[in-house]
Amino acid sequence: MKKIWIAFLLIGTLFMTPILADAAAKPGFDDKEIRIAQWGPQTGPAAPWGSVARGSGLLFNVVNEQGGIHGRKIKYFIRDDQYNPAQTKAVVKELVEREGVFAFVGGVGGACGLAVMDYLSENKIIWVGPSAAITQFVFPVKPYLFAVYPLYEDEGSILAKYVVEKLQAKKIAFFYQNDAYGKDGLEGAKKRLARYNIKFVEELSVEPGEKDLSSQMLKFKNSGADVVIMFVNPTAAVIALKTCATIGYKPQWVSSNTLSDYGLMFKITGGLWEGVITGAFGMTPTADHPLMNMYREAGKKYTPEERWGTFYLAGIVFADPLVEALKRVGPKLSTEACLKALNSIKGHQTIGPKVTWTPEIHQGTDSIQIQKCGPGGSHILLQDWTANDMAIWKKK
Amino acid sequence: MDMKRDYYEDIELFKSGTVLVWTIVLLLFLFTLPLYLPSYNIYLMNIILVNVILAVGLNILVGYTGQISLGHAGFFAVGAYGTSIIMMHLHVPFLPAIIIAALIAAFLGFIIGLPALRLEGPYLAIATLGFGLTIMHIIGRWEVFGGRMGITAPPLDLGIPNSSWSFVIKGDVQIYYLILIIAILLVIGARNLMKTRVGRAFMSIRDDDIAAEVMGVNLTIFKTMSFAVSAFYAGIAGGLYGFVVTFFDPFSFNLILSIIFLVMVVVGGLGSVLGAIMGAILITYLQYDLLKNVENLPYIGGVLVAISKQWFTVIGLANFAGIALGIIMIAIVIFEPLGMFGIWIRIKKYWKTWPF
Repeated sequence: MKKIWIAFLLIGTLFMTPILADAAAKPGFDDKEIRIAQWGPQTGPAAPWGSVARGSGLLFNVVNEQGGIHGRKIKYFIRDDQYNPAQTKAVVKELVEREGVFAFVGGVGGACGLAVMDYLSENKIIWVGPSAAITQFVFPVKPYLFAVYPLYEDEGSILAKYVVEKLQAKKIAFFYQNDAYGKDGLEGAKKRLARYNIKFVEELSVEPGEKDLSSQMLKFKNSGADVVIMFVNPTAAVIALKTCATIGYKPQWVSSNTLSDYGLMFKITGGLWEGVITGAFGMTPTADHPLMNMYREAGKKYTPEERWGTFYLAGIVFADPLVEALKRVGPKLSTEACLKALNSIKGHQTIGPKVTWTPEIHQGTDSIQIQKCGPGGSHILLQDWTANDMAIWKKK
Repeated sequence: MDMKRDYYEDIELFKSGTVLVWTIVLLLFLFTLPLYLPSYNIYLMNIILVNVILAVGLNILVGYTGQISLGHAGFFAVGAYGTSIIMMHLHVPFLPAIIIAALIAAFLGFIIGLPALRLEGPYLAIATLGFGLTIMHIIGRWEVFGGRMGITAPPLDLGIPNSSWSFVIKGDVQIYYLILIIAILLVIGARNLMKTRVGRAFMSIRDDDIAAEVMGVNLTIFKTMSFAVSAFYAGIAGGLYGFVVTFFDPFSFNLILSIIFLVMVVVGGLGSVLGAIMGAILITYLQYDLLKNVENLPYIGGVLVAISKQWFTVIGLANFAGIALGIIMIAIVIFEPLGMFGIWIRIKKYWKTWPF
């Protein structure tokens, strides 16, 4: 019997040792470093979007190479949550309570973000640039949460305007995913069309995970729409385009920015993506802009294995305003000082849209670019940054 | 080893004084855990305990009755959504709400149990799989359930909400105690159930359902009952899960989750309550914590990152977590068919017969 006692005692001590080692949570920064973190699906069904988190890493590498921010280097953590809200919460808690994180940037996934939104604000952790346009993130305003991603309603409105005025489309149809993402886009586009006294010739929805879209595509074909605007996920878009190719229907497709990774879309549609017009939250990856050129060089240097695509760049777009705010704060860093700096950012622009935050409005932008997929999945700029003159939230 | 001389020895909760003492020590340890465990680990503990409840329930079905289910994420979802929606719309306290939700899950389990009377093996797997996926889609399409955007769980109120009898539980530590108590009760319940006539009927169905029927076991009743009991456990686990994560969407309850649940039971050891508990702990830990922060380890971290970047995809260490999880599962199934419970038996034997 004694042996069992000894065994339990050993197991007990094993349990205790690592636990007592780290008791108190660290503050988010010290004299040498500022700890910033991001979650993102590196494995699992949404893994292609994981490049957002790695893209922010490139920006921080560049910042550190330039000597950091007022003598502090940025220490950056990426955690894989497999696009699962329960895991997001686990990694966020681990980062906040064990590593001591000053701020979060980006963060793919609406559900993942909503799972940790309250936790982050209760713990007074700044969160800049969630990588999803969720209205609950910004309305009503959350003191610690600052959004960069343009709202789908604004995007729907801008795209509809472009379709009517520039493409001179006579018959327009709308194809949307049956959730907040698709419905917000539809809402914005409808409001815009009402201004021209036009109605969609067809509005059809798709459930996420639906694999047979032939009935929807036939309806679009029969409606004779020459332009179809779509707010769907990549899988649905691929199936839609392939179905249309088989039934011989070739409308001009216009899509939201969630499908603006042309390199990826071109590949998985087998080239059908060429000619599709989409919104975009960042400059074209090949743009000749001094900052873009610098990031491109840095990318070649630090992460030569990464594909230089839209979502990788999105990581830079979403994280950049935080770096700007930290620079403005100066050497005397604190969460309050950083909040003040973030709230005073006005018209700040690098390779994304112009970002403006006030203490009352934390939705940073209503602007998108409009781009077109060229041969081989290249990006062609059609229309530079365009704001939504019908954005309701700005009039509040 | 583990030889029983009479019936009462078999149904004893504690086999000996030593076991009793150590059980008390373990319980004391569990109840004082929040004192020395950092709070983010308490969150992990909560997830583990939820999975323990589910795995113990699933084990009744898979391990003891010999049926298979690939749809337990569905019952889990019914529990999570049911509890939150009953509390939000009917303003019912937590305990009745979770029990109603679990009973709904149990009823659905009973319904799924009916085809199980005729289906076996892979066919049953497909039937239950269909159920799990259907639940996910029904919830996603129905606005009452918050649609695809998911819902936020209401405050966990043990008393009557919005009145002077309100007693709201907040924070991981308080929820931990609630789940711990429920988990202990349900584990004891499962263990005792297996020592009754019902439990023996389950096991006889597993070993040979024709022989069981000949001996007078009513297959219709006991097979559906096994499904119902198992679904009840999943419902309770789901109800608690909702409050642990506080936000969930239909996609959280996907097919992968059902498979992970099954993995817990198989890796832990079929047909053993202790095995199910160990399996739930191991798999949850591997999934949630393993290699999540290896990158910052001295020496090894850098080497692993370099290897990963050289030979795997750009995502780095996340590769290793997946591979390690897979290898551990395969290794346990190959080298220890009884699962972790088999390892436990051998350790016990080693200590009892030491130094031989």
